[in-house]
Amino acid sequence: MTEEYISLAHGNGGRLTRELIDKVFVQYGQHPLLDTVNDAATMSLPNQTICMTTDSFTVQPLEFPGGNVGSLAVHGTVNDLSVSGATPLYLSTSFIIEEGVSMACLIRVVKAMAEAAHKANVSIVTGDTKVVPKGQGGGIYINTAGIGLKRTHTQFDIKRLSAGDHIVVSGPIGDHGVAVLLARDEFGLDSQLISDCASVYPFVEAIDTIDGVKFLRDPTRGGIAMAMHEMAQATNLSIRLNEAAIPLSGQVESVCNMLGFDPYYLACEGRVVAVVAPEVSEEVVRRWQVCEHGQNAATIGEVLPRQEQYHCPVSLVTHIGGERLLDELEDDPLPRIC
Amino acid sequence: MRRQSVETLIAGLDAMHPERPFRVMNVCGGHERSITQAGLRSLLDKHIELIPGPGCPVCICPEEDIAQAIHLALNEQVILLSFGDMLRVPVFSHTEGPRSLLAARSQGADVRPVASPLDAVAIARANVTQQVVFFAAGFETTMAPVAAMVAEGVPDNLTVLLSGRLTWPAVAMLLSNDEQAFDALIAPGHVATIMGSDEWAFVAEQHGLPTAIAGFHGESVLAALQCLLQQRSDNRAQLVNCYPEVVKPQGNTQAQQLLREVMVVSAANWRGIGVVEDSGFTLRPEFATVNARVRFSELTDQSSFTPLAPPAGARCADVVLGRLYPDQCPLFGNECTPRHPIGPCMVSDEGACRIWMSSGMRSVDESKPTPEGV
Repeated sequence: MTEEYISLAHGNGGRLTRELIDKVFVQYGQHPLLDTVNDAATMSLPNQTICMTTDSFTVQPLEFPGGNVGSLAVHGTVNDLSVSGATPLYLSTSFIIEEGVSMACLIRVVKAMAEAAHKANVSIVTGDTKVVPKGQGGGIYINTAGIGLKRTHTQFDIKRLSAGDHIVVSGPIGDHGVAVLLARDEFGLDSQLISDCASVYPFVEAIDTIDGVKFLRDPTRGGIAMAMHEMAQATNLSIRLNEAAIPLSGQVESVCNMLGFDPYYLACEGRVVAVVAPEVSEEVVRRWQVCEHGQNAATIGEVLPRQEQYHCPVSLVTHIGGERLLDELEDDPLPRIC
Repeated sequence: MRRQSVETLIAGLDAMHPERPFRVMNVCGGHERSITQAGLRSLLDKHIELIPGPGCPVCICPEEDIAQAIHLALNEQVILLSFGDMLRVPVFSHTEGPRSLLAARSQGADVRPVASPLDAVAIARANVTQQVVFFAAGFETTMAPVAAMVAEGVPDNLTVLLSGRLTWPAVAMLLSNDEQAFDALIAPGHVATIMGSDEWAFVAEQHGLPTAIAGFHGESVLAALQCLLQQRSDNRAQLVNCYPEVVKPQGNTQAQQLLREVMVVSAANWRGIGVVEDSGFTLRPEFATVNARVRFSELTDQSSFTPLAPPAGARCADVVLGRLYPDQCPLFGNECTPRHPIGPCMVSDEGACRIWMSSGMRSVDESKPTPEGV
């Protein structure tokens, strides 16, 4: 393809559109099930319960250490299916591209999607592309939908939560949020930090036969603090986290100190939080620690009866033993990260 | 510092259990943030009160300065630059028009947040056909890099709308109005890094109050508290530098020299407090070409700007002066929230109300006495 940048003509349904599909999406996103001719993909599903989800992805910058908007879109959808107790099978993908995006950038995004899908063992079976005039979009927006097969033995249900349960996290928090922030290059900070953007399915598969695993959540926007709030509010319970136990990379800690961010509200894109019966938390940690990216898995808190004396159901025991409430997020800690 | 030494510190504080209230004021938003985020208050004997005082430059920036910034921002030739937490601070006046820089931006003004004076220079260089105005509000820590920028020389199209303040005169004024305003002071670590710890000796020497310069970890604040409490139990008052790895008695003399070269100190207005002698930075006449108040002569008309009284019930001034805890203002968490701030203390990450709100603190103890009520 000779054109170096996306133009409106790439979205007009004519020759350039066909070329874009053939020479970018088919060539770099190639998958045997990707149907680029028919208007709908055809596939067969076993006679079982399925899960379906959809999500849209926008991130600035489009590319950041450890991923780009393409890998983020695949992982985000795969992870929503995974924590719902499903084995991800099929994805759709729909691109809205801003005029002027470089072809090289688009190719990197599509390649990253294909690689992420391959590694997560899912098939991107159908897609669409639109081009919007320059100034009317943030580079590349991607919408995905995903279908997964409900794993029959999983019983993840928020209603199973009860006081005494433990909270376990699969790895250090906030890496994605800080990696994206630093990639904007607004603060003149150099860092080796890379996003945690990845599929969490291996973590789910490692523990979902343990009966005491009650509920899973991937702490994306709003970080672990908001994940805890959603659980506490849905169950009328309280949750207390232990600051000293929460895995945090030194770089995330120093950037947060420097810029006044709170890591508990920063997005993760490849971590999972489990609520488990206290007697199995050690087993969950042990299994996660042998997974890729899981070596820092840890029990970070516990579920309590609703603490009526506080207006806020989520609290944190601090490093020095004080207690602090982790309230719901008010403003964006970062301009927009996922 | 590990947990064990923290426990030792707290045990030490408990052992000194004050029998009457010991009111310790801090005058740095960074300290209030450390105290609140570490949950320090929940660990201490109830007689040890930690009071946030005038430590937020955004909170005390006078409304007439913000009104000038808004006025300039609405000029189509102007790109107005400001530190981010200034953008949402509301002003109250009879005049029509947007009431914050953010509101001006939503009406089409080119208002951009910046993180440092270097950004301002870069933006001016990249927009040579526009006038770029850097609205620089802050304490000594912010003024030093602004002075460095001006001393080095800036692009012709860049001017500075200066709203700089010195910290110690506000504390001196508090104490001269009321010797009993507080019992001990945690002096600001960042400011002392620039200006030197000696600047704070007057609190102990002239007013007889224990004073400690503290760092910014919860443990550092605890160590400073222990020092203050020890002074009280020994019935002495002196300045102790508990942050010696960073703060020197004379401070950063190079930065001070730059401040003297570029700025003069004069009386200045503080939002909610009033005029404080020798507390404001203004640009020296030889830097008039960099002074936005000189380049934009219409700003002199703006000097007639008279802010309205804050909305009924708002106790911002009492919170800034440490006469009231944030959660004792009737608007706190009700009408006034980070999303809909009424007073400036709810806007900035350095503001006491904002810090308390974002750490989940609400009116948990209605019976709590006010700092002044003891």
